[in-house]
Formats: sequence, structure tokens, C-alpha cells
Amino acid sequence: METPWFAKRHVSEIRPGDHGWLAYSGFEERDRVIGPFVREGLATNEKVVYVTDAPADRLPGLGAGADAAAFQRSRQLRVISRRDACLDRAGGFEPARMLDTLAGEVGSAFGQGFRAVRITTDYSWLLNDPGVADLPGVLGCEHRVGDAVSPSTMAMAVCQIDRCACPPEQLAALRDTHEVLVEVDPEYEDNVLRIVRTFAPDGLRVEGELDAARHKAFEDRLARVSVGPDGRRRGVRLNLSRLRFIDLRGLHLLVRHAVSLDGDDALILDGLQPEVENVIEMVGWHRLPGLARGRDRVPETEDLA
Amino acid sequence: MSATFTHRVLPYDGVDEFLAGAVPFLGEGLAAGDRVQVVCGLGLEVLLRDALGDGAGAIRFSDAARWYAHPSRTLADCLSDAEELDGEGRRLRLFGEPVWARRRPLEVLEWQRVEAILNIAFRGTGAAIMCPYAATLPPGVVAAGRRTHPETVRGARAVPNPGYIDPGAFSARCDREPLPPPPAHADELKIDRPDLYWLRAYVAEYARRTPLPDEDLQRLLVAVTEVVTNAERHGAPPLMLRMWTDAAEDARGDPAFVCEVSDGGRWSAGAGFGLVPPRRSEAGACGRFGLWAVRLLCSLVQIRTGPAGTVVRLRLTLPGPLSDPVPGFRPGPGDGG
Repeated sequence: METPWFAKRHVSEIRPGDHGWLAYSGFEERDRVIGPFVREGLATNEKVVYVTDAPADRLPGLGAGADAAAFQRSRQLRVISRRDACLDRAGGFEPARMLDTLAGEVGSAFGQGFRAVRITTDYSWLLNDPGVADLPGVLGCEHRVGDAVSPSTMAMAVCQIDRCACPPEQLAALRDTHEVLVEVDPEYEDNVLRIVRTFAPDGLRVEGELDAARHKAFEDRLARVSVGPDGRRRGVRLNLSRLRFIDLRGLHLLVRHAVSLDGDDALILDGLQPEVENVIEMVGWHRLPGLARGRDRVPETEDLA
Repeated sequence: MSATFTHRVLPYDGVDEFLAGAVPFLGEGLAAGDRVQVVCGLGLEVLLRDALGDGAGAIRFSDAARWYAHPSRTLADCLSDAEELDGEGRRLRLFGEPVWARRRPLEVLEWQRVEAILNIAFRGTGAAIMCPYAATLPPGVVAAGRRTHPETVRGARAVPNPGYIDPGAFSARCDREPLPPPPAHADELKIDRPDLYWLRAYVAEYARRTPLPDEDLQRLLVAVTEVVTNAERHGAPPLMLRMWTDAAEDARGDPAFVCEVSDGGRWSAGAGFGLVPPRRSEAGACGRFGLWAVRLLCSLVQIRTGPAGTVVRLRLTLPGPLSDPVPGFRPGPGDGG
């Protein structure tokens, strides 16, 4: 199988020319990507085009404090209904119309005084709404959106989809029409350590090197993600596939955290690098109560779906 | 668990004395349903199997060279077994002889230290440990055995050993000799930045020019990070890192990658040297974990602390061959570079 080529970017790194893809696992994840995408556009004189049937003030990034109506009046924010954007008279999906709509918005943006255009829409309904579902139509549309956005020096797009909206093979096919995989901004980042919230499964991805200089930063993020919606202190999964180094106090920190979880919950360590696992084995998993070895490392592209 | 932990030395001169001590000890364990573990060479194993007959079938025999592979790791694994069995209401009964005669002096010292430290480590586990010491061993080894075992076996009886000394005091005696100074070609670096990311990169760069295997490199980096973090927290400047390879031409130890961290502070009298493995029950608690784990990660850890400061020297055995000094690295300050 040919491995598709992807760039993985945090949402704040999205630039004109990026045709981005967000498969979200829940509204929290969606809002933490689309929220900054919308907000940062509005804050920096960029046009935001959101194709949706939801009211503007309920959209991610436009909640409390944001004056959606004012942005709409200045035409910086364009909230376009599905019917107006891409449906034919019979209510069916019409890819060509979507492309025209987007091209029109991008074409007018420069003259309106905006330096860039951010486009986003949630495709899930086009895959699972009875009577509308049209995977080939969406695939064709995505290819052409990609062709239009990629060479552009003004337009950037993030296509949203609920991970559960379609079967995995369809999800993969849709993903492959994008070049950029978008994820939340890191919880923490410097030139040694990066901590990224993950949503499927719930947890953190820890990249780089973890030692005493960053224990506090890590411990704070770990504590935060470990409180479930019901307030329970739950076990989460740590994706350590890009963690090159963890010191002994770091391991000990994990143990202290793990033994304080509610019930029999464990802290699961996924994707350990062989060097890191070797050190853990030398110390002995049995001396690290509450920690459990999770999945093996997977090839880079497989965890990106 | 009603049984109390025992640690006895069985000094013997000839087969009869050996069997007179070993057979009752092992037989008692078999009768009580203990896990009976015998660690010795092939010769003694044949002798014991013969003397115990069918009973020997329930005994776990292990090869001494493999069982006694690494002082800290063997101690930790064995303690783990003892704790686990104790939790099940059983007793670990260990009859073992480290291979004293074939070891280098640095190793002998560490195994002697283990003999002393296990008196603290196994307290409360109910384990029964008996160590045979042949009269043909070097006199120093036999003499140390008398200091590290609270009891001596005389035939079927055990009597208090008048030569026994406090394990901490014994361990301190093991460290009485000063460490040989680092060689002139050692690489020396003053550590004055608290972020250790760069230090690991530096150590890794140096280590890559030596025959240190990759898997040992990660262990070294974890160990160095722990020791330096410790020194930053509790020590006093100047903090120095020195690295070199030791061909061990005096054959006191194996050829090794050596990395030492020194500082101007002195450890308090109560500071643990990481010798006693943490118990399972205290795994979540801080304190003993770090330095103890450093011992697991390295071949040997040597610590000296006094009015002149503290040195923690980590040795990782090298597959060799060595070229001194390490080629291609920056010349040390002593070389006028």
C-alpha cells in the first residue's frame, strides 16, 4: 500500500495553501481546533467562511464575548447555510455549487480588504444523513477544494468530520484527499518538550525529553486531563511514541499519579520507544504500580487517521 | 508470617561439614513448603542432589554465575521474590554462594556489601538465607563473611556470630579507600546550567566515540540525569562532570565507561546510598527510588562523600577494545586545549 504523505500541524500553524483535515472524537476536540481557527482569523484581519446550518453565535470560537453579528456585518465572518452553499433545488449535495460558493468568497476577499480567507465546514452530515449521504460526491468535492486551496496564497481550509460519521475505510479515503492533518494546539511546548492533548483515546501525547526542568508543567497537564467529565480521577493513555527520554523522577511522578487514581484505573503508556522501555524494564514494571504497558509503536501515519 | 528473617553463614572445610549444614537447612524448607532455591556451581549441586534424594526434585537450582549477575539487580529481584512469597504466606529459602573466587576485586567488594545490606533489606520478609563459605576461599572473603552474617551454622545449630557488624558500618568500610583519581585524559565539564537537555546531548556525543552499546547509553543518560539532578538539589557548587574510559589494566574491574559527578557538598549522615531496594508497598513514596534505580542501570556505582565534597562515579562495563583517550572529542582542559 502506498503511504500517503501528510503534514501534521497544530491549528495555529495552519497557513494559506493548507487544505486541512480534522477528524474529531467529540465536541471538545472539535471546539479546541475550530475555536482557535475561527478566533485567530477574526483577530488578524482574515475572512472566515463557515458553511453550517448552526447559528453564528453558537459556532466554535464565537461564544461568549465575541460579537458574531458585528463580524457578519463587516463581512469578515460569513456563515453560509448548507442550502445556500452547496445544495441543489431537490436538497441534494451539489459539489460544483460548493466550489463556486467558496471561490466567490475567496475571490471577493482581497477587494474587501482581507489578507486571507479561512474556510471550514463539517462534512459529517454528508456521510450519514439519510437521503443525502454521498461519499463519492464528497470525495470529488474534496479533491477539487484541495486543488483550489493548495496553490492559493490566500485560502486555507479545515474540513471537519465526526470520526464516527462513517466506517474507517471511508474515513481513510476522505483523509487522503487532504495534505494537512490538523490537531489541537499543544498544551505545552518549548524546544525540549511538547505535550499535546489527545482525544481518541483520552490522554496526552508527550514528545521530546522529560526531566526535572519540566516535571511541573507535565504534572499539571496530566492532572488536568485525568479529571473526567464526572469529576472522577480516571486513568488516561499517554502516547509516548515520540518521547526520547524520561528521567527516574519522571517515572516516579507517573507512579505517584497512577496510584492516586480512582478505582483500579491504570495509567497506560502507549508506543514506548525501545530505549525508554529498556530503562523501565530494568527498573521493573512490577516496581511501578499503576502503570501499564499499552500498545506497541505504530507506523507514523496510522495514528493520524 | 510467624517465621523471622535469618541470614546465616556456613563455614565449611570439606564435604561433610558442607552437607551437615546444608541438608538440614534445605530439608526443613522442603518440609515446611518453602520455596527452596539453591544457587551454586555444578559440583555442589550434584553433591546436594545426591544427599537429598527425591526431595531435591522440589528444589530450584540455579547457576551461580547467572544468578549472581549484578549485585543490585540480584538483590532487588531476590527481595521481590521474598516479598511476593511472604504475601502468599510462604517463605523464601535461599542457599547460595556467590562465585567469590573468580571475581575481580571491585566486584567482590560489591557482593560483600550485598551480604551486609540484605540484613536490612530482607527484614520482615521471613526469608531464610544461608551462605556457604569454603575454607579454601581467600582469607579476606571468609573474614568479611563473618562480619556480614548475624549467625553462624555449627552442624544443625545456629549461633550468634560475634564478628557481625552493623550493615551500614560494614558498607562504610567498603568505601574507606579513596577512589583512584580520574586519568589526565578524562573529559571535564563544569555544569552550571540547570536544564540537563544539553548535558545529555554532550554525554551522548562523548559516549558515541566509545564502544558503549546504544542500550547502555540510554541507561547512562538516565543515571547521569538523576545524579546531576540530585547534586543540583542537595549539593554545593562547583558541579563537575568527568568522563573517561578505563581499560582496567590493573584488573581491579572490567573495562568500563566511567562517568563521575562531583560537587562541593557533603551528604548528611542519614542520606541513603541507594543500597536498600524500596519495598513494593512504598513504591509510590519518594526517597529511596532514584539512587537505587541508578544502581540497577549501571554496572557499578561508587560514592564518596566527605569534607572535601561528594563524588558519584558510575561505571558501565564496555565490550572493549578501548582506545585512550577517546578519539575525536575536544581535548580536556589538562591538555592545554
